[in-house]
Parts: sequence; C-alpha cells; structure tokens
Amino acid sequence: MKCGLWLLTAAAWCATIEPQHIVLSGPGASQQLVVTGSGCRVTSTSTTAAVDVGRMVVTGIARGVAELVAACGTETARARVEVRDQTAGQWEPRFSPDVISVLTIKGCNGSGCHGSPAGQNGFKLSLFGYDVEADHQMVSNRVNLAEPEKSLLLRKPTFEAPHGGGRLMSPDSEEYRTLLSWLKQGAKISSGGARLIQMDMYPREAMLTGPQPIAVIGRMSDGTTRDMTREVRLTTADENVARIEAAVVKPGAPGMTTILARGMGQVAAMRVGIAAGGAARPLPVNNFIDTLTGARMQKMGVTPAALTSDAEFVRRVFLDAIGRPPLPEETRAFLAKPDRAALIESLLARPEYAAFWTVKFEDWFRNNQLNSQGRAMGTFKEWIRDSLRQDLPYDQMVRDILTSEGDSFLVPATAFWAPATDFMLKKFEVNRAVPTVTRLFLGVRLECAECHNHPLENFTQDDFYGLSAFFARMRVKHGIGEYRRTWYLEDEGEVAHPVTKKPVAPKLLGGAAQPFDGPDDRRRTLAEWITNPANPYFARATVNRIWHAYFQTGIVEPFDDLRMSNPPTNPELLDALAAHFVKSGYRLKALHRVILNSRTYQLSSRSAGTTAAELERMLFARYQPRKLTAEVLLDSLSQVAGAAHTFMWHPKGTRAMDVYMPDQPDSFLVTFGFPRRDILCERAGAPTLSQTLHLMNGKTIQAKVEEKDNILASWESLPDGEAVTALYERAFARKPNEAELGMGMEFLAKGSARRKALEGLLWATLVSKEFQLNY
Amino acid sequence: MESNRRDFLRVGSLAFGGLELPSLLAAEPSRSERSCIVIFQNGGASQLDTFDPKPDAPHDVRGSFGSVATTAPGIHFGGLLPRTAKAFSKFAVIRSMHSDEAIHERARQYIFSGTKPRNDLLHPSYGAVLSKERGSKNGLPAFVVIPDKDLSAEAGFLGPAHDPFVTGDPNAKGFAVKDLTLPAGVSEEESQARRQLLAKMDAQFAKVTSSPLLSDMDEFSAKAMELIASPSARKAFDIHAEPDKVRDAYGRTGVGQGCLLARRLIESGTRLATVFHGGYDTHREHEKGVKRLMPDFDQAFPALLEDLEQRGLLATTLVLVIGDFGRTPKLNFSGGRDHWPRGFSVALAGAGVRGGVVIGKSDVHGGEPVERPVTIEDLGATVYHALGINIHKEYRANGRPVRINKDGAVVRELFA
Repeated sequence: MKCGLWLLTAAAWCATIEPQHIVLSGPGASQQLVVTGSGCRVTSTSTTAAVDVGRMVVTGIARGVAELVAACGTETARARVEVRDQTAGQWEPRFSPDVISVLTIKGCNGSGCHGSPAGQNGFKLSLFGYDVEADHQMVSNRVNLAEPEKSLLLRKPTFEAPHGGGRLMSPDSEEYRTLLSWLKQGAKISSGGARLIQMDMYPREAMLTGPQPIAVIGRMSDGTTRDMTREVRLTTADENVARIEAAVVKPGAPGMTTILARGMGQVAAMRVGIAAGGAARPLPVNNFIDTLTGARMQKMGVTPAALTSDAEFVRRVFLDAIGRPPLPEETRAFLAKPDRAALIESLLARPEYAAFWTVKFEDWFRNNQLNSQGRAMGTFKEWIRDSLRQDLPYDQMVRDILTSEGDSFLVPATAFWAPATDFMLKKFEVNRAVPTVTRLFLGVRLECAECHNHPLENFTQDDFYGLSAFFARMRVKHGIGEYRRTWYLEDEGEVAHPVTKKPVAPKLLGGAAQPFDGPDDRRRTLAEWITNPANPYFARATVNRIWHAYFQTGIVEPFDDLRMSNPPTNPELLDALAAHFVKSGYRLKALHRVILNSRTYQLSSRSAGTTAAELERMLFARYQPRKLTAEVLLDSLSQVAGAAHTFMWHPKGTRAMDVYMPDQPDSFLVTFGFPRRDILCERAGAPTLSQTLHLMNGKTIQAKVEEKDNILASWESLPDGEAVTALYERAFARKPNEAELGMGMEFLAKGSARRKALEGLLWATLVSKEFQLNY
Repeated sequence: MESNRRDFLRVGSLAFGGLELPSLLAAEPSRSERSCIVIFQNGGASQLDTFDPKPDAPHDVRGSFGSVATTAPGIHFGGLLPRTAKAFSKFAVIRSMHSDEAIHERARQYIFSGTKPRNDLLHPSYGAVLSKERGSKNGLPAFVVIPDKDLSAEAGFLGPAHDPFVTGDPNAKGFAVKDLTLPAGVSEEESQARRQLLAKMDAQFAKVTSSPLLSDMDEFSAKAMELIASPSARKAFDIHAEPDKVRDAYGRTGVGQGCLLARRLIESGTRLATVFHGGYDTHREHEKGVKRLMPDFDQAFPALLEDLEQRGLLATTLVLVIGDFGRTPKLNFSGGRDHWPRGFSVALAGAGVRGGVVIGKSDVHGGEPVERPVTIEDLGATVYHALGINIHKEYRANGRPVRINKDGAVVRELFA
C-alpha cells in the first residue's frame, strides 16, 4: 500500500483507514479512527460494530466481526474490527492502565514532577508509568479506603490540599471519577489483567493541510486492543510547525516535526510536515543521495540551491575533506580543469585527509591526556590516523577497540577505556563505558537506563545491565606514577543488578540473555553483534555521524540519538547510505566519496528562494555555512599568512591537526573550542565573545601578520592590484570582484608605509567572515 | 482556560502562606542583585593546611605548620593563615565536604557547577548560570575568569555565549586585559583603517551567502566593540587606578591583584569572577610548595573581605574559597600529599552567610566527615540559594529536561 508514504504520494490523494486491526472487548468499548481521503464516508458491514461518522469512532455492539469501509470518491479503504465479550457489568477501572493513564495525561509522572528520579515531596512515580508495582506501592500510601474522597490521591490534584503542581482536575471530571471509582473498589493493583505490549499512533506520517486527528491504539497481551487516544500524553517537538489540541494536530508554519505519544511505559512517534507553498524545481541527480534528498524537497515544496561555483567548491571541499584551504596553485590547477570527482579522489588519497579526520575521531573517542595519559593518548592518535590513512574497514577498527586489552603503551586502542577509569579506586567503571559504547557505535543513548527505564524508547534498566555484563570481567592495573596501565580480563566477576542485586547475564540490546560462562571474551560477542551487517544501528549511526559532519545536521538529529521516538527526516536516505557503507565493506572513504560527489553536498549555500531556513536545513536544500574548527582555523591562518604557529613541545611548523596534547592544550585552540574530551560532547559551532576579541585584538593574528618572512615579504614590490588579487586567491581561492579590488587598492594606496599597509590588508582578510567560515 | 489562570494565581498566593516555592526566592528583590567571587585553590589545597588542622595527629598527618587560633573560641586554622584566622568573624567554614571525583578536571567541574559530572552532558558552572539568568550589566562581561581560562569552568549546555571572559594576569607589569586593547605596534589610526576595510569586506560577503551564523557573528562583534569602547569596562579593568595602598593591602601577587580586580569588576556589574590561585597540586615536597602559596592567599582573602565590607558590598557578594578537592591526610614517601576528595574544607562569606561559623567535623586525621557531611550538590544548592537562583528551573539539553543542581540541600546553618 503506497498511500501514507509521504515520499511517494501525498497521503490525502488516496483513501486510508487506520488502525486496520481492532479488537474491542468489554461493554461499550470503542476506538478512534483516522481516515484520510476527500469526502470519505465510513460504514460498517455488520451490526456488531457501529461507526459514529461525525466523531470517527467505532463502538462494539455485539460479538462478531465487522469490516469498516471508507469510501472516498472512487477510492476505498478497509479495516477489520473484531468485537469480543460484551457482557454488561459495572465498569471497573484498574490501576494499570486506567489509574496510570490519569497520572500520565495529567503530567504527574513526567520528569518535571513526581516522575523525576527523586520524586517530588516524597511522592515518586516511575517516569510515564513504566513500573506498575512501584507506582502502586507509592499510590497506596496516599489512599483512604474508609473515606475514598479524603484520599490524598484526590485531594492533591484537586487542590483541596496544598499541591506544588497546582490544581489539575476538578471533582466533576472524568479523571476524578476514574480515580474515585478505583479507590471505592479497594485501590487494588489487580494483577493478572492484560498488559500493554505495543502502542501505535496513526497516521504514522502526515503532510498537514488542515487539522489532522490522531488515533492511538494499544495492543494488549490478550490480543485485544484499547483506544489510548485520550490516555496518552501528546507532545510536539516544534510548536511553530504543529500544535496539539485534544488529539488533533493543527498545522502551523512550513516545516517538519515529530509528534510523540507517551503512556504506560510505551512511546509512539509520528512525523508531520507542512509544505512550503509553490512549485519546487527538481534537484539534478549525481548519485542515489540526490534522488532521495530531491524527492523530499519536492514533497515539501522546497527548491534546492543552485550548484556551487567551481571556485567556491574547491575551497569548501579542501576545508571539509582535509581541513585546510587550497594553495593558490592547487586552486589554479582545479579551475583549469574543474573535474570535481577527480579532485575528491585526490583529496581522499592525501595524508592530510587522515590527519584531519583523526581529530574528529579523537573527539568522538574522547582521546584525552587527563590523568597523565598523554603517552597513551599519542599512540591512540597514531593508531587512528594510520587506520584512516589505510582506510581500514571501520567495523574492524571498532572490533579492535572493543576487544582491546594489554599494555596502554603497546596496545593503542586500550586508550579508549581511559575515560571510564575511576582514578580514586584505580578501577574500570563499567557504567561509564557502556553508554559511551552504545552512543558512539549504535547511536543509542542509554545513560538514562542506568537509573530508570528509558522514557522515550523501549530500553530498560535490564538492557543497560545486560550490556554491562559484557564488560564485567575487564580490569585495569596501574603502573607506578599512573602513566602506564595494563588492561586485562579476569576469569570471573559479574555485574550486579542494582535492584535485584543478582548477577546479570550478558544480553544484547533486544536480544536474549547469553550464558554466563562461554569460553571466549564476552566483549567479542558484543563487538561481533555491533558490527554485524544485520545490526540495525551500527551502520546507520556511523553514516549519520559522518553526514552530520558534512551537513551540520544529521538525518537523525541529534545525530547520536537514534530511536523510534526520534525518527529520521529522511529514512530512505539513512537506509540507503547505511546499505552503501555496509556494501563497501565499511570503508569510510567510500562514504566520504559518495557524499562529496553528491549534488546535495555540492549545492550553493545561497538559498534558492524564500523558504523557511529551518526547512532548508532539514532537507539539505543548501550548504550550511559553518565556522572553521579550532585546528582548521589555526592551520589556515598559518598557511595563508605564511607564518607557522609554534606549539609547546613541538617543532616549528607542526600543524594543529598533528599536535599531540600533552597536559596543556594550546590557548588559541582552547579559545576556539578545543574540547576537554572526557565527556561525550560536540564542539559548539557558535561564536563567543572571547573568540571575537581574540581575532580583533589578540596576538595570534597580529604575530602572523607582523612576522618578517611571512608571505608579505615577497609582495612588497608587487603593484597594489596584484597584491590584492594574490591575497584573495590565497585566502579565499577566488579573484576579488571589482568592488573588492577597488577597496583593497584604495586601502594600500592610503597607507603610508608599504609593509604596514600590506599587514593591514592581510589582517582584515584573516579576520573577515569569509575567512572564518566555510560556505 | 480562564479558570486555570485563576487557579494558578491562587497557587501563587497560597504559596506565601507557608509553602516554600522557588518563586519566593525570585520575589525577594535584593537577591537578584547578588554577585559572587570565587577564589579557587587550583590543584586542591590540603584541608589540614587551611581550615581544618589536626595538631594532635602524628607528624606525617599534621605536617609542620602548626595551627593558629581564630577569633572564635576553640577554633583553629592552619599555621600559615594567621591573618585569615583573625578575619574569621567575616566568614564561615565547612569542614565536612566530601566527594568521589579525584581527577582534577572532573573534580573542578563538579565543584564549579555543584553537579556531578556526567558522561554525556556538561553542566554549567555558577558563573555561566548567573550570566544566563542575570545577563551583563553596565557593558561588563557577566562571568569573568582571572587570569586564565580553565576548561572546567564553562557554560556547558547553556552554550558558549555564557562562557567566561578571560582577563590575563593582573599582577603582570603594565597589565592590560587580554584582547581588550590593541596589540603593540598598531596605532589607533591604523586600527581604524583596518576595521573599516574589514567592515567593507564583510559587507561584500553578506551578498554571497546568508546564515544565522553571520548575524551571530555580527552580534558578538558588536558586543566586543561595545566592551572595547565601554568606559565603565575600561575603568573597571584598569587596576592601575587603584591607590598603591590598596594594591599593597591585597598583596602584589597573582591572587592578591586577582582578588582586587575581581572586586573592581563586581563593583561595576560583573556577576561572578573566579580568581585562580595555582599550584596546590603538591604530589611531592608538599610543604615547600604550600609555604610559597599560603601567605599570598592569607594576605589576599582577608583584604578582600575587609574591602568588600567597607564598601558595603559584602552583604550582596558571596565569596567562596574552594579547590579541586582536599589532599591525602598522610604525607607520601615524596613528602607530598595526593588527591583526596573524601573529606575537605571550603569557606564562604558574604551574601547572608554568618561569620565565625564552623559546619561539620572531620575524623581525627581530617580524612572523612564524621558529623554533618556536606555534598558538593549541597554546596551548589547553598551557593544558588545565597545568589537567589532558582535551582528548580528546568532547562533543556540533549532534548531532555535538566536542572542546574540535583538533589542538593541548602546548608541552612550558614545563614542567619
């Protein structure tokens, strides 16, 4: 069924009815429906179920099976409804799901209130109600069975008793009646009932042209379904694009966003889009990337930017792929024969490619010198650089890291574990290692599951400790003075579950528990699973990370937060890139190559129209200008000025990329965002006051400008126009336009001393926005 | 909708009836003008040398500096702090701090933010929070670090806009604040011409592309120019305007002139100034190193308190004396003391903190708290309480709600 896939057609053109499988049980049970199509009429083929067309609700009447038919013009769509037990009886709300639903929709168990890890004023609930038993115990202390109306459970939210959360319900509300009725029936947990095993929200994706009703259906362990449309907390990620009012999504400004439904430990997501008006010009196709990004742009009515010029491209691709601007001769060679694919190929073959991307991987792998680990840090840096230069398969690199053991001076990859060491106890801290591994290699943020079940994904504390168990036997020995460490595996040792205190068996995410005593290094099992081509996360997480480096925006954003409740903006693109990466044998260069050669990467940074900037960013409809990172900026300043920077403990001429960082990072690099690297944290792309002041008045640029034998030394006798042109070619990989040539020449002519004037020109060039940015 | 609003108002008014709601703090006007000076003993000073000497312990624990009586009966400080001891009526000491972070960077980040460092999120330090919540005043940077940037005192998830402004060393000859004045060799006239050319080049570039980044850069350029041109900032940073008598009173040392500069900045509108006093990481020859450092501190700290008091600023300025952690109670085989987070001392003054008060007690060797243990989260809550910052406010980071301080309890005994 192609309808509903917003890539291929607009959902509104063809009829759909959701949910397609409904199992109603209990008197009066009903389910919200969502129907798309124009002028639809929905009917039931049997008297067992009735459809209220006005409210789009189907209600069970008698046992049996009915088919619902939505007729929309010439199109029809069908859904199946099974009606089970209809025995009348008094409705009995149960703790789960009824009471927990009230606590969820009223926000009681949200992270800002009683769902926070510490609870609120002694009343602590599990986040969005994942832990039924614990919640029942908590709630039980707040009931008065003799006089149910006097229960704190009612007096607090109605504000009869002072309540920090204010007044949340009135005594004549349906929620109040649910709670009261449950209290009157003994406030029992009533175990043994059907459990919620899955929750779905419809439509899964929608292009909004008007208000869009939502239906949420819970699938229970006894095979029945439950209408949860009004029992979940619905939120929107971007209020400007879509708002929620009483289970209806209302469109706002053009854009794309995600609607989340949360309740009873489950979460469901829906992507919505609002197209920009007008017809969009198509994106020319260089490779599969463009087919997939272009389709989305079309769908959203966004015209892609034009192809960037050769001069802009050569500077951009040098900076993005090897971390420095082209030399004038390199620019001239390319412009004489502007073969972009050949240029990309030659850049990827250079050692500078490896040096530049090594710095990124060092950030990601948290390669730092803290706690006297300078030497191990250096060997790890070299190992990453060599691996990238040889384009070793990335899955192999990751397996080597995850299974590394031995002397930190001899086995470089062991440096990966250094940030997970407790200095005081001289101990490997498995709880610090696990979330790093999942986030880096799976794009899964598991930190929260250390203490509670993941509120936005179906990961639990058991998953966290199941993964920890793979590292349960890792140990570290410190040499004298802490510098040298030995990582090894013990023959025994287990991780204890914080709640049950029992040893936890190794368990892969979403997999079954493994035996405690296999013959091999448990970490190998984990490493093989992570890097297996069938693993749904590894390749996607990796390609999204690299994609983010080029586009500043991931296909999933944040780029290391892949989960069902945070869907990709372009799932087809993410899948296709991941498949390409796997097929290439996990070669990073293959990934760089296909991205750099795409039309999408080669688009100009100038917007093609008046579309919302945010939408252009999410669709990759133009290149996003970005600040040069600390190392790239410093190397570029040195290269263009012809004046090398001096780093402590390094020979003159060492490039910032190649600096090992023993103890004291260079102050320029720190000012411009060199990170501490002991936590997982991206470098900030925003400017700061210190940076601006340092550019304006700082000694770094001034020293380069003044250095006697810098590039200006050979320009002193050049005519003004030629000097200005030479500088533009050197700094910006382009010739100045007429206005720029004029103002440069005017500046030189006004200056009294020739050298001073040239210095001023060079200074303005190095401080200029064009120099600070890649665009 | 209408009734909700009324209900909300009712909550607000009820709150004054006895419930402690954070909005109460915000309602108190004086607290919103409070500022803070942090003297940071870089590397971690020994609790035995500073505020918690153990004169009766064996020599390899107590060391050789002895102790000195303070103005409070029965309370002694380390023998190298005679002036500090005399000023004890102006500040309070917590002797029962404890933590478990023993790596400098993590420990510093912990105590600068009052929140345990996480694997995935950098919590903002106190100065960044003040910058975010109070903004700048009189054109001065809200958050200042003297003399050098330290990666542990940063804005974290509040974003680089709230990172500290770094001054350079105010004790240096001919001190001028880092990057605030033209580099040597460039005249004002040349600089004008350069900037004009730069403005023209940037105007050309604005035709080439567009991005929110460009306007951000413009905004910071404007801020930078404002700061460079601001008479109040220039005046505040000009430590040479201070009479020699005052400069001498603080001591012509890094920490002395740092504290003086901090006072000038606070007086003019800066919200938080951190003064790093370095070199306490004495893994070997501890006493030799400390003997050089402590007298400088012992001059600067009481002088700062005295000066703030005379100017009527102590009531609105919280002064914190903290470090990475404490040091091992026992001297090691190199005569050094190693990292020790399990028990250490801090001092607090001003902003409503009572003087002459000791909170908590450590064991006989000054190793671990035995009474009234105080966590770094508690210290953080206390700092924010004194500064009138609501720690219950939710920020968003990594797509989740987060708070600047978690589960800390204000050390109430510190306040009158």
